[in-house]
Amino acid sequence: MLQEVLQYFFSGVTNGAIYAVIALGFTMLFGTTGLINFAQGEFVMLGALGLITLWKGLDLPLWLAFVLSTAGVAATGLLLERLAIRTVRKPHPIVLVIITIGASILLKGIAMLAWGKDARSAPPFSRHPPLEVAGATLLSQSIWIIVIVVLVVLALQAFYRKSLTGKAMQACAINQKAALLIGIPSERMTLLAFALSAGMGGIGGILVAPVTMSSYDMGMLLGLKGFCAAMLGGLGSSWGAVLGGMLLGILEALGVGLFSSSLKDAIAFFLLLGILYLRPSGILGEKAVHRF
Amino acid sequence: MSDPSEKTPPPPVLLGVESVSRSFGGIQALWQVSLQVRPGTIHSVIGPNGAGKTTLFNVITGAYKPDSGRILYRGEEVQGRKVHELVRLGMARTFQNVELFGSMSVLENVLVGQHVRTRCGFLGAVGRWPWVKREEAEARRKGMELLEFVGLEEFASQRSEDLPFGWQRFLEIARALATAPRLLLLDEPASGLNAVETERLGDLLERIRKEGITLILVEHDMSLTMGISDAILVLHQGKKLAEGTPREIQSNDAVIAAYLGSER
Amino acid sequence: MRQFTFAAAILALGLTVSQSYHLQLLTFIGIHTLLALGLNMLMGYAGQISLGHAAFYGLGAYGTGILTVHWGFSPWAGLPLTLALTFVVAFLVALPMLKLSGYYLGMGTLGFGMIAFVVFREWSSLTGGDSGLVGIPALDVGGVSLSSGKAGYFLVWACVLLAFFACERVVDSRVGRALRAIHDSERAAAAMGIDTSRLKVWVFVFSALLASLAGFLYAHLVTFISPNSFDFLVSVRIVTMVVIGGMASIWGSLLGAAVLTILPEWLHVFTDYEMVVYGLILMTIMIFLPQGLTRGILDIHERSKRKDTAASSAPRS
Repeated sequence: MLQEVLQYFFSGVTNGAIYAVIALGFTMLFGTTGLINFAQGEFVMLGALGLITLWKGLDLPLWLAFVLSTAGVAATGLLLERLAIRTVRKPHPIVLVIITIGASILLKGIAMLAWGKDARSAPPFSRHPPLEVAGATLLSQSIWIIVIVVLVVLALQAFYRKSLTGKAMQACAINQKAALLIGIPSERMTLLAFALSAGMGGIGGILVAPVTMSSYDMGMLLGLKGFCAAMLGGLGSSWGAVLGGMLLGILEALGVGLFSSSLKDAIAFFLLLGILYLRPSGILGEKAVHRF
Repeated sequence: MSDPSEKTPPPPVLLGVESVSRSFGGIQALWQVSLQVRPGTIHSVIGPNGAGKTTLFNVITGAYKPDSGRILYRGEEVQGRKVHELVRLGMARTFQNVELFGSMSVLENVLVGQHVRTRCGFLGAVGRWPWVKREEAEARRKGMELLEFVGLEEFASQRSEDLPFGWQRFLEIARALATAPRLLLLDEPASGLNAVETERLGDLLERIRKEGITLILVEHDMSLTMGISDAILVLHQGKKLAEGTPREIQSNDAVIAAYLGSER
Repeated sequence: MRQFTFAAAILALGLTVSQSYHLQLLTFIGIHTLLALGLNMLMGYAGQISLGHAAFYGLGAYGTGILTVHWGFSPWAGLPLTLALTFVVAFLVALPMLKLSGYYLGMGTLGFGMIAFVVFREWSSLTGGDSGLVGIPALDVGGVSLSSGKAGYFLVWACVLLAFFACERVVDSRVGRALRAIHDSERAAAAMGIDTSRLKVWVFVFSALLASLAGFLYAHLVTFISPNSFDFLVSVRIVTMVVIGGMASIWGSLLGAAVLTILPEWLHVFTDYEMVVYGLILMTIMIFLPQGLTRGILDIHERSKRKDTAASSAPRS
């Protein structure tokens, strides 16, 4: 029994780490611009398919494929901001939401043209034997995923704490008008936030590629779950995103393992409703944010 | 305009604020402020920016809950009640920056003001029974009357956000009057008005008082408050600095030092 | 008067169109109009977003489907029961949910919609799961079937006409003004004595009931339902109909529903490029006409009119 639970826990942490990166993307964008990007899931999909093509299709070394794929997705995010979001004159939130939904359909359509409708898969990053911990196995890919996510989180923290740009971005998050007044170019920050959050989604996709089958329509559910994770932890809080992702991954794995797999996809949304009822600002979020 | 309760004899104090305090994350916006408003009077609250005027205003109208202290309205404790409940009890307000329903017509704004004095719901709206039609006609008649009262009857069908700013203020007052209040609170009604409009405003406020409605003004414009107020409360850094008739305030040394002296 | 013109147009169209494909398309426009109209009351007039309206659409369809297929109810007995169920569910969902605002409300309704979808898909003993619920009886009156071709068209559009009638009356009433007031400024609405959270709950319930009615009609017209007709993308499509048609515009709902029903049909010619074109159109309309088509076209019209009279017109603020 314990062994079983531990096994679910491992798979939960693996999925949770992926949800966490996707959630970080949501949170970063929301924190800086107050926007929720419904195309975030498509960035995940692009990251996954991009990696598979570059790594397996073009036989590039893994690290190069990783970097190029992430950069490509980040560039897509940049384009989205430049071409679609910035051009809106009166940015009513509902309008922006629909624009990002339109972008998500568009990206999905492009991906279908580029990669076709068939699902693809990638091999694990390395062929190390799985680790045995108290009778449960931890796959090498899981270790890769967890290590990379930890690195991403640390890098992000360093960026926020140490670099001037990171601090400026946080200033925008706190008060955009005031930030503008003291000379922080909030337009550039928005652009940067889009690129970074898209890149984050791309990394999520790269990590997930060896774990599941990847296809043009994989993005929506992953995106929505990443979003649930971000809400769970508290929109706008980076640690909240990590916590929310982990929590969601683990609860989902335990729920599937111990109860029934048919409700797997509903768990994230039950958690979402629960947190909205009990504490809309999320576990680590600041008190009731009314941003719209 | 009619006062909803003619029968009960008016209590000596319509609104009593009893040592109300309120802080915002370490900043003490109000400290033990008290205020007594007798029915049928015009009461002004003045003070420099950041003195706590708007906080006091928001505490009275239910937008904020006081940390301590009581607010008595017609002898009943009302602190912490929801805004819409207070309106039902007869307390109406306007906003410092004028918050009209911009997409709606001038008349419609005043009709919304009558929300608590009418009762048609979803079913009534779809059914349009005879009583609904009567209620609607009556509301429109009253609405036009109010627009006439503030001098905006010609613009009844215009979109309210297309009105010049000064007229928007008068419309907002008409809208507040439509809730049939006993007590009307005006947040800096003269700000943004030119001299002519300010004079018209003073005249309007006098006429409102004659209808039996008690007024509380939070004001910056001294010429308006000194001219029409029965009593003035001066706030400074969240505390009461002085209270009295306009004449007393004008000659109060503390007030002159803290407010009049520094600002004009 | 407008109602009469509208009714006459519906009648004329119904009598002249005979090709069954066109009739079917028109019927679906009608169903989508009901959906958009309901959501427009919530979004356009009360200013509250719902990203889970497909759940109520599905509730209407599955409610009547389960009642008629599994428990042998007649559709006409199923209707009030289904609406009552929707009423209760919508009320319970709205009660805590509408305390949220903005994005949070959108997310809450999204979560509800996803859960409903998973329930439709997974509760297979009742809903038939992924393979769907088959054999839903057609509606009939005294043995005359109302579900095929013209009869279906007239049935749906009669409902649309009634819904239009009801919504127009609501908008131009004390309740409607209060809703629009909440949309313009919630703070000022409260200062007028409007119990904003209570009113929001009622308009949510109202719009859920319209969606449920649409679901009821859909189930009996198509006689087969599956979860995919009520997934997240359907919720999004309803929101899009409202926004593209024009928020706070009753006739915009009709326009939005028509555009978003015909567009995918028309896009079939693009075969594999369908999604790309659809996404692009959606984005383009939102970027250039963020007020929706109705408002956007009116604006363009007004602007050209203003140009004509530019010299004489007074400056507008």
